[in-house]
Amino acid sequence: MRTDPARITLEAWDGRYESLRAAGLEEPAYGGPLRRHVEDGDLRLPHLLYDNSPASLRLWNFLLTEEDRLREARARGAKLVGTMKDLGTVPVLAYSLPEVVAFYPDGAWWIPCVMELSAGLLEVADSLGIDDSFCPVRAMLGAFLTEAHFPIPDLLSCSVGAVCDDFSAIAQRLNGLGFPIHWWEAPRRRSPDRGEESVHLPGGFVAPRSQVRFLEGELSRIRGALEELAGRPLENQELRAGIAAANRVRGILAELRELVFRTPRCPLPALEMLIAEMLAIHFCSDREESILVLEELLGEARRRVEAGVGVLPEGAVRLFFVNPVADLRVMNLLEECGGRVCGTEYLFSHALDAIPEDCPPMEALARMALADPMIGPASDRAERIVADMESFGAEALLISRIPGASHCATEGLVIAEHVEGKLGVPILEIEVPPISDPVEARLRTRIEALVELVRARRSEG
Amino acid sequence: MESLKRVVYECPFVPAEWIGAHGLRPSRIMPRARRGGGIEGLCAYARAFGDQLAKSDAAAVIVTTVCDPLRRLPELPGVDEGPPLFLFNVPATWQSRGAQELYLEELRRLGRFLVELGGTCPSDEVLAGVMLDYDEGRARLRDARGRLSGRAFAEAIARFHRDGVLDLEESEEREVPGGVPLALVGGPLLAEHLELFDLVEAHGGHIALDATETGERGLPAPFDRRALRQAPLLELAGAYFGSIPSAFRRPNSELYRWLRERMSERGIAGILFKRYVWCDLWNAESERMREWAEVPLLAVDTHDQGLDPSFASRVQALLEVLR
Repeated sequence: MRTDPARITLEAWDGRYESLRAAGLEEPAYGGPLRRHVEDGDLRLPHLLYDNSPASLRLWNFLLTEEDRLREARARGAKLVGTMKDLGTVPVLAYSLPEVVAFYPDGAWWIPCVMELSAGLLEVADSLGIDDSFCPVRAMLGAFLTEAHFPIPDLLSCSVGAVCDDFSAIAQRLNGLGFPIHWWEAPRRRSPDRGEESVHLPGGFVAPRSQVRFLEGELSRIRGALEELAGRPLENQELRAGIAAANRVRGILAELRELVFRTPRCPLPALEMLIAEMLAIHFCSDREESILVLEELLGEARRRVEAGVGVLPEGAVRLFFVNPVADLRVMNLLEECGGRVCGTEYLFSHALDAIPEDCPPMEALARMALADPMIGPASDRAERIVADMESFGAEALLISRIPGASHCATEGLVIAEHVEGKLGVPILEIEVPPISDPVEARLRTRIEALVELVRARRSEG
Repeated sequence: MESLKRVVYECPFVPAEWIGAHGLRPSRIMPRARRGGGIEGLCAYARAFGDQLAKSDAAAVIVTTVCDPLRRLPELPGVDEGPPLFLFNVPATWQSRGAQELYLEELRRLGRFLVELGGTCPSDEVLAGVMLDYDEGRARLRDARGRLSGRAFAEAIARFHRDGVLDLEESEEREVPGGVPLALVGGPLLAEHLELFDLVEAHGGHIALDATETGERGLPAPFDRRALRQAPLLELAGAYFGSIPSAFRRPNSELYRWLRERMSERGIAGILFKRYVWCDLWNAESERMREWAEVPLLAVDTHDQGLDPSFASRVQALLEVLR
């Protein structure tokens, strides 16, 4: 049963789901109507617009059942690892051990949005002295203390050093509350000095060999902790297979991004693309299933591209989006304003790049970790944004400032100046709180102005 | 000394000895508050230091990675118009050998930068000699603590860091106040914050423990003289990286251990927790420290203009409770 691609409401999904079921839709065990998640407390869902494909349904159900998956994993005896402030490195190590399941506690930063502040997590953070001068990731503290959103992991790792202060401080607060943490150091990436041996990193950065070696050492300590947890050594062969599987995820995402960001008629909405990209970080607690979810989404995008259909009108303004939004609704909003996403840098572009498979596996992971856009100069990040904007033909830059985030105080300024200097495109910086309703009118006006500016430029030729 | 090229920095993890041994003049400054607007989300201290980066007449400036805003300062518009800049990576972790070696390697890299700046690569003997001088200076400073007012002690430390000069004789003539002994805890002070010591004294207290970054908490441990003679650079790295407790370190348990020892030793009756708006690393510690401390803790915010206007009345209230 095929229907024209569209962005539909949750209410429309109710009927759409029944129709699909009647037409013989086959779903995985975690499948079902999206509506049931609202009944579980995900109150933001009725305020979002969704892609109407079965692939999208599967993606959403996969995302919104992660907690169940973690509890099932624990019940069957798997060891749970919380990989904090780690956008895609330690999960690759962890998933190389079949008896270990890694997840991303920082993902709790979206709970205040998805549950429309009803979970009380920010209040828990407030009570611990972590107020709204911190990034919304402070919700994670509440998730740990209430134990209502994910099981307490058997092992916690956290990268520190050249990371944002918010997370480092929140993780330390968690540690001070009695949660043991395996810290690992992410050094600030620098350019090699004159005559210093250098290494090319995924994504195109160059770094000193010594920094790669240092990170190999740090990750080896985490590997040791994982081996101890699993009760056996992790063989290099297993790790290579784990890297290959992670690269499979990244490969699908790379193809998906190419299709969605380049095709004149946008085949998939920005919101579903954001969620799809997030799977690269930690596979939403099931690496194999995340591959299947992404393959189905890619298949849908291919079919739409071949049929010349899409979810947005042709001519939508091509925006490059920087930083993830605390309120998912904003991804809908930018499309309602006449924009579409053509390129993203959600702080984890290194988790989208292929991990090298032509060098020893720990070195490969170290190179990948060192390519993290957050740990180097903002100008590096800006340089990559410029290259991707040119490649995807983005016409404007939209920087989403994360409320309270230490890196956002100056990073947007540096990126904007760099992109302005190189491309001369219109740039808008917005700040998005976990629930943007009170500021939606203002956000809408500003995004519409950006879109109109691009359209005016188009008409000027 | 005045004719030597001046290298400016603000962080306690940069060893003055290493700069001095290269034949350059180390100058750890206490920035003055930046007046007027700034960047939303950036703390007053980072703004103040950033302002001085661009204007500095020093031969070079060293910035460290101890916090996100400082780490990102070198990229701000206008900063590249100032003197050459070295970004020193101070690891947040400290328990692993890798982190210790990374710090040592950063010292070596800094050494190469200093040589390019016109410095001379020091022999072990030269380095050891400079280390001994500084070690003796810090020992004299520590000895003077009980004889100085809180402000005089803070100023003596600041002067020693900025100019390498000890002016303790003049300070010794000042009267050491009595009153309720407080610990001042937090990140680095701006020059305007020295007024805080006077305010506390005016209300019947005194700062008996300056546990700010610019106070005695920022002093490295005394050197092991035998190790200093055998491998001075290793000893230097060990004393700085291994002994200065701070909120940014992971874990930062040593900060609490250091505080507990000194608070107990000095009979501290209350904690004045000074924090900057937008400083995540210290702000996150304030409630934790309140839970940990066995004495009352008063958290006070500081802004671009120095002390908060309500500071005096809040301190007065704290001291009334403690008396």
